[in-house]
This record gives sequence, structure tokens and C-alpha cells, in this order.
Amino acid sequence: MIHYTNSVEVSSGDGSIGRSARYRKSASLLLMVIGCIIVYLLPAWLGGSTVVYGLFVTIAILSVMALGVDVVLSYLGEVSLGHTIFWAIGGYAAAIPSTTWDVNGWTTAAAAIALSVLAATMLGLATLRTREFVFSLATYAAAVVVAEITFNTDALGGSDGIVGIPPLHLPFGIADFTGRSSADLWPIAFALLLLSLGFVARFRRSRLGMQALMVQMNAPLATSSGLDAHRVRFLVFVVSAPITALAGWLYAYQRAYVGPDMFDMYFLTMMLTSIILVGTRILLASTIGVTLLLIQQNYLSIGGDGNKVVLGTVLVLMLVLWPKGLVRLIVDAIKPAVRRRQTVELNDGEVSLRKESARSR
Amino acid sequence: MTEILSARSLTVRYGGNTAVHDVDLGIGAGRMVAVAGANGAGKSTLVNALAGWSRGYPVVSGDVLLDGQNISRLPPHQRSRGGLQHVPEGKNVFSELTVEENLALVRLGEDHAGRFLFSRSEVIDLFPRLHERRHHKGSALSGGERQMLAMARALLAGPRILLLDEPSVGLAPRLIGEVLAVVRSLVDRGLPVLVVDQNVRAVLEFADELYLLERGRIVGHGSAASMKNDDRILKAYLGDLAVKGDLQ
Amino acid sequence: MNVAQQAINGLVIGSGYACVALGWTILLGAARLVNFAHGQMYMLAAFICWFILTRSGIGYPLAAAISIVAMALLGVGMQLMMGRLVMTQNLTSLMIVTLGFGYILQGVAGLLFGGAPHTITTELVQQKIQFGDVWFTSQELLIFVVTLILYGVVWLVLQRTRQGAIIRSVAEDPKLAQLFGIDSRSVYIAIFVLEAVLVALAAVLVAPRTPILTSMGFEEVIITFVIVVLGGIGNVGGALIVGMLLGLFTSFFGALVTPAYTTAAIFAVLLAFLIAKPEGLRTR
Repeated sequence: MIHYTNSVEVSSGDGSIGRSARYRKSASLLLMVIGCIIVYLLPAWLGGSTVVYGLFVTIAILSVMALGVDVVLSYLGEVSLGHTIFWAIGGYAAAIPSTTWDVNGWTTAAAAIALSVLAATMLGLATLRTREFVFSLATYAAAVVVAEITFNTDALGGSDGIVGIPPLHLPFGIADFTGRSSADLWPIAFALLLLSLGFVARFRRSRLGMQALMVQMNAPLATSSGLDAHRVRFLVFVVSAPITALAGWLYAYQRAYVGPDMFDMYFLTMMLTSIILVGTRILLASTIGVTLLLIQQNYLSIGGDGNKVVLGTVLVLMLVLWPKGLVRLIVDAIKPAVRRRQTVELNDGEVSLRKESARSR
Repeated sequence: MTEILSARSLTVRYGGNTAVHDVDLGIGAGRMVAVAGANGAGKSTLVNALAGWSRGYPVVSGDVLLDGQNISRLPPHQRSRGGLQHVPEGKNVFSELTVEENLALVRLGEDHAGRFLFSRSEVIDLFPRLHERRHHKGSALSGGERQMLAMARALLAGPRILLLDEPSVGLAPRLIGEVLAVVRSLVDRGLPVLVVDQNVRAVLEFADELYLLERGRIVGHGSAASMKNDDRILKAYLGDLAVKGDLQ
Repeated sequence: MNVAQQAINGLVIGSGYACVALGWTILLGAARLVNFAHGQMYMLAAFICWFILTRSGIGYPLAAAISIVAMALLGVGMQLMMGRLVMTQNLTSLMIVTLGFGYILQGVAGLLFGGAPHTITTELVQQKIQFGDVWFTSQELLIFVVTLILYGVVWLVLQRTRQGAIIRSVAEDPKLAQLFGIDSRSVYIAIFVLEAVLVALAAVLVAPRTPILTSMGFEEVIITFVIVVLGGIGNVGGALIVGMLLGLFTSFFGALVTPAYTTAAIFAVLLAFLIAKPEGLRTR
């Protein structure tokens, strides 16, 4: 179960270490590069209209936003309902300095990272010993309270928010990037998505990533083998925050506005639904999930309230009917041979997860 | 002999492992039947499967018949209401509820045919300690008292058959004999009992017949008297000395 | 500042808090079920009551009763959908499912009732009762009295009846309860219906005090959470006391400092508790 999502990649390198493995590795690298180029050029091929670029940039931004929650959900098995705080911190960190002192994008991004890490440290320390629903409720309560403070504090723009955020300006030494429209921002959004995915992919293989899985699978065992479970949980939570914050940072530049609506239930529901729709511990889960959900909301929309019903229904039905997510559902349907092996793994995982959540007495 | 409870090709799987494999057994009226086996042989899994109950998520196949009726598809609470009373190993009473409340949870079903009805006073006569401690919470009871409470609860529910999983665990040696003697007195009144216990030596003193379970399969079955001299039982449960004694 | 008046206000607010929290306290204690749709169920019950009052000649008591029955049915439906997850105690999934339900309810309410604020007008809100320089409305007196009665009845049922013992047994160990002949699944449904009924009752009592919006409900969840945690999970008496104290805190904090940050201040109290006494959060 631990290596399930990796097993496809790992198995190619499993058997013969040597030429064929190296060839396969470079072949998959090549495929990845080609895939990235195709995705990058896709909005232009789809007509290159403002609407298309807007959709692609939003997909990239919300995918990165959800990726932060995914790290906590997939590697700690906890549901953070407080990531809208980091999302909003990113937005306000872009908005306030850039409107007040006209600083460039690097400065605001650094502020977004620093402030989100600070906030995650505080929230992480406060909720260090909480688990399961107490953790979720505490993070949720924190989000509602920060939203209330934001709404009532004039220095943060109050209920009106902050308007007139200047175009994103990123000096690269020899050349400068300045962008306002979605078409301008697409390279930045795409790069941010790739960087975040790369970061999470590295995290999965890192010591901390492995330790987090151990703690999630069997906390007492992990503790008895010398791991400080609280420390691991705290670090993973802190690591996840700047990912979501950077998404909020770019979102502020895309909209040229931030406001307390960044705490809206919509973003929280999007974060969770996109991951649960596709499945946990799948690197591209948030990207695929957000893409599917945004296509519905943009092209098959049935109005704001109708879309809420759709989004909520997707979330409920997935968890009730196919809690493993779409990817495993599809894999199970088309690969009966692989399926047998996986169901065993999945069942094992299920048992361990349930043990995890079984009553502690 | 009519069998009150019987299993046909009962198989229990956990994930990829088969914990109980193709087991057939039967418990007749007024019989005390014991199941013995090493740790991990599947004894608890077997009795739990008879009750349709588990703390895990097993896949059970095969049939369980109570008084000739197939109850394989019934959930555990319906089997309980039908008179199949199971006292599981370990936690078997509610620690947040008082003795009184634990006993009051039990309700006798409508259909009394074939069931052994015990009045409150009869049960108290069997376990007088419970009356003294009736206002104490389950968590305040000793291991032996909890075992008594669990059995009292099962008796008040009007059993057709009683399943006991490790009734002697955690009991003082003096109490083990006492509890088993109480069980035997119930059997002598006609109540069939299936008992699983580590303490094979003690159980063999009271039981009528014994099934020997190894790695989820039944590898031996006979009267308690004959099984007492079975090599496998001697070797595994009654100690090396007994075997050596035989050889010399 | 009129201290006596603030204290009265505090008790009224507090009994409202406690009333809203009661169903969830039982639900969390007995089924370990976290219902994030709690706030939206409160909102929906208030809107159903408002809708009936404005669109028909039916009076407040009957409209309230219809709203409560409707929420009970909704509760059955939700619990039937969640049944398998509840029995396997898949708590994380359950939590997210209820979050999804809340979002659906918000969307449905938006579709049915629009986004504008409304007021539930009852005669009781207009009836003032004056004692010297303190006053309160009949509605507020009703909230206070009904809350106390509800807590009393729930406590008696849980501690003194067989049904209460069954709920407590399922709360402690649903698997073991099966061997006692208890159908844990029906008990869960009953508990969830109780939660729906109690939150609906709270809504029709408390919501007339303030304008209602389809987007409301978050604060109810937060305050309920604080009450449940500080009162001790599943502890009915604790919930009543903490609810009242929080009401007094809200009233005096609003009068002395600022009403804008009361939820934040309440949450600060909770955070202090989380840091100082995490073992107070034992789920059992």
C-alpha cells in the first residue's frame, strides 16, 4: 500500500538494473517533457481566447492550492480545513505590499511563503496533539475566525478587500516578466504548477515523506522505532502551507483583487473534492480533479447555487460509492489482472486505515 | 443426536489469508463441546464466525445452522435475538454502564421455543457477586466479575446455545474451575455450550467432546475422554512430561 | 453598562448556543460522528419555517413543527446514505461527507430561497417583558426555558432509561452492542434523526432573533464545536454549562470590547484550552 502509487514507476526499475532501466527512465523523462510541452501549448491550440487562458490559469492555480491539502490528506491522513488561511495569506501577501510599496513579485512571493510558514507554525503548534475530527474542527474554526478578523479589519481592506493590485512583475536579471492578462500569466501559472508537483514528488521520496507515511500507518510503531510523531506531523503541516499560499499569491495577481471571499467554502470544497474525486496519494490528483470540476463549472454550469449542489454531490457520492477515487475505479475496471493484486493491497490498506481510526480506549 | 448449532464448510478469510478453512462441526443438545488449538489456530475466528460477528472485516462463506435453520445471512444482533449467545474474548461488557444497565440492555425475543429461560433470581444465584456490585460500572469490576457479568447477560437473553471464548482468561486459577463448574451445571440442565479456552487441561475435565484446530482446519475430534490421550493434545497442551511419562 | 441587562442577554445567547449544540453533543458522544452540515441544517430549518410562515396562513408553532419533521426526514436520508461509513467508523470520510452535505444544502437553499436576508417574524419576538431596567422578549424567555427542559429531558433519557443505556452502549462499542442483540445501525439512524430534530428545534427558536441568510451556519458550527470540546465530548451537562458561560462571555465581550471579534475571542479561549490541556480532548 505504501508504494502503491509508485509501484508502476518502481516496477520498471525493479528487475534489471542497467541499460534497459536507464533507457526506460530516459524514455519516461522524454515522455514527461513532451507531455508538459503539449499541455503548455494546449490553450493556444484551443483557440487562445481569454476565456481559455483564464480557465487554464485558474486550473493551474486551484490545482496548486489543492496540492497543499493533498499533502496533509495523503501523507498524514488528516483533513485540514484550515488551508483557506494559507490561500488567503498568499493573496493578501501579494496584494498589500504590491499596492502599498509597489514591490515586485519575488518580494510578495517571499512574503507569502514566510507568512504562511509562520501561520502554519502557529496553527500547527496549537493543534499539535489533536487528531482526526478535533484537528479538522480546530483548523476549520481557525479559518472561520481568521475570515472574521479579515472581514472586520480595515487595515486588511475589511469586507471590501483590496483592489487595484498591479500586474505581476518578476525581474529575471537579464529580462523582466510583466503580466496581467491570463494569457500573460499562463507561463507563470504553468511553471508554478510544475514546480509544486516537482516539490511534492520530491517530498514523497524524502525522509519526511516516508516518516509521515509510517506515522499515518502505525503511529505507535513509528514512535517505538524512534520517530517523533508529533514532530513529523507538525513538519508536514508546515511544509504544505506555502504550496497553497503561492497559489493564493498568483490568484491575487490574476484577479487584481483580494477579499474575504478567499475564505469561501467554495475553495475548501474544491480542495477536498478534487483530491477525493481522483484519489489520495496520486501526484496529479488535484490537477485532474480541478480540471474536471472547473470544466463543469465553466462549460456545463447550472448557476452558482446549482454548481454548489453539483460539487457537494460529487464529494458525497464519491465517498459513499467509490471512496478510492476515480483512478482506481478506472484501473479496476480495465485491468482485471492487475486488479487482483491491487485489491489485496487496497484491502490491506483499508484495514490499516480503519485500525488507525478505530476507537482508542 | 439433534444438533442445536452446526457449521457446514465454514471458511473465513481476512484479506488474502484464510483463517478458518472448510470447518464442519456440530453441538448437540446438552453437550459441552470444546475447541482447542495453538495460538493463531483460528479458534476465536471460528466462534466469532458462528455468531456472525467480528471486530475486523472477514469474508465468511459456508453455512451456519441454528436448530436446523440456516442463519448464515443474519447479522449478529439477529442471531443474538434468536438465541445464539456469544460471549467474546476480551472486552465483553460495557465499562461505561453499570452492572444493572448491562443486564437491562438484554431483551428476550418473542419466540421462546427451544430456549433456556433464566430468571433474574436464578442468574443472581449463579453469580451472587453481581448483585452486590449491581451499581458499579463495568470498568470497576475485576476480570472474573466481568466474565460473570458477560455470562449472566447471555443467560438472561434466553440462549438456545452459549458460545464462550476464553472464559478463563485473566482469572485466578481457583476461579477457573469455579466458572467452568457453573458452565457444566448449565450444560447438565440441557443448555448446549461451545467453549474455546487456552486452558485445555481444565476444559477437558468438564467438556464432553473436543475439536482440535490447527491452522484453521479441524484435525481431530472425539470425546473428551479419548482426546485426553491423543498424542497431539498431550504434546501441545498437557506438557512434555506427560508424553515422556508415556514413553517410559 | 447595565450589568444585569448584559447578564440577561448573555443567558439568552448562551441558552441559544447550548440549544444549537445539544444534538451534536449527543451525536459526537454516541456515534463519534462529526456533522459539518450542522450549521447548514440549522440554516435550512430556519428557512423552511420562514417559508411556511410567509407563504401560508399557518401559525408559528405549526410552521416550526413542520420544519422539524422535514429535518427529521432529511436526517434519515443522510444517515441512510452514510450508513456503511458509520458502521465501519470511517471517521475521516464521514467528516468530509457531512461537509459535502452542508455544501449541497447551502446550494439547494440558495436555489429555493435566494440570497437575500429574511426575518422570521413571530409575535413572541415583539412581546417585551420588563423588570425595572432589564427587559427581554417572550421569544427569549421561550429559548431559555425550552433549552433547560430539553437538556433535562435528554439527560434523564440518557441516564435513566433503557433507550439511553442502548445509546451509551453503542457509543462505547457498537460491535459489542450487536452481541447484546442491539441493531447498532438503527441506533445510529435514531441518533442522527435526534440531531436533526434538535438542530431544527434550535433553529426555529433561535433564528427569529436575527435575520437569516442562506450563507449562514459557520458560526453555529464553531460555537457548537467549542461547547462540545470544552464541555467534554458527549457530556450533556458540561455542554449546558459551557454554552451558558460562552453566552455570558459573548455578551460582556461585545459590550466591553467589540462585538465584531466575539467569535475570534471565543476561539482564542478554545486555542488556549487546546494548548494547555490537550488531554481534555480525549474522545472517550
